[in-house]
Amino acid sequence: MNSFEEINIGDTLGPLELFVSKDQCRAYAKTMGMGDGPGRFTDDEAARKEGLPGMIIPGNMSLGLLSKLVTDWIGSSNARLTRIGTTYRVPVQPGRTITLHGFITNKDPASRTAEIDVWMENEEAERLVTGTATVEFRK
Amino acid sequence: MAVNYDPAILNKTFEITEPVEVEAEKIKRYCAALGETNPIYTDAEAAKKGPYGGIVAPPSYAVTFRNGRHFFDYVPRFGMRGFDAGKDVEFVGPIRPGDRVTLSSHVKEIYEKTGRTGTMVFVVIRSTLKNQNDEVLAHIDHRFMNRP
Repeated sequence: MNSFEEINIGDTLGPLELFVSKDQCRAYAKTMGMGDGPGRFTDDEAARKEGLPGMIIPGNMSLGLLSKLVTDWIGSSNARLTRIGTTYRVPVQPGRTITLHGFITNKDPASRTAEIDVWMENEEAERLVTGTATVEFRK
Repeated sequence: MAVNYDPAILNKTFEITEPVEVEAEKIKRYCAALGETNPIYTDAEAAKKGPYGGIVAPPSYAVTFRNGRHFFDYVPRFGMRGFDAGKDVEFVGPIRPGDRVTLSSHVKEIYEKTGRTGTMVFVVIRSTLKNQNDEVLAHIDHRFMNRP
């Protein structure tokens, strides 16, 4: 990644296209202890009974994927993700292509931090999850 | 609908969880499930030369620690239907394999919002994660939406 001096408001992260399979979603749910028995994160039928269109990706997984968009951008430099906030607007369904986006909205030389808008879109460019992140650039 | 609740429930710790050990194997599975390949989270040798001097969990691992019982055991549920509306996470310190992590939680805020689809009540649970040395690892504000 570029240094604090080299980044600019308007710089973008991604877009990163991702296909999260139903099995990957189940694996995440299982790792998190949410995968025991059929539920909204593991089974289409169980999800429909809850009024959902089918299996959905856990909110925490969306948060994890958007955090990863930022930490991938940071790479192995000593900048650090210090904050992320997410809003789950529309249920995210696995088995489809999603796209992760980021956009630098502010840069504060005093604290050496950058503010980044992050969001996840479906194939219809509908914003499913939106959020903001802060990255601190240590000297 | 006006939100009625006892203000005494605000800012009062309702649970401190039993410590949960961060297993290296679980970090590995977490990384695999997210498609994480950054060596500072996945490669012990490479991570030694990285900023933390060893493997750490990806920052978002902080949200995987859960309350022992569901927080609605302690907090009024405004309405029957609800969902996870979002989280704000402040990452304070790295989470390392072998850490024993506790979660201390309180209700930070309860507020009402009226949108296109009617009235919603938001309950914000703030949890602080600490390790075995009483070092703060993260603060998590979890917004839960209820619809009457």
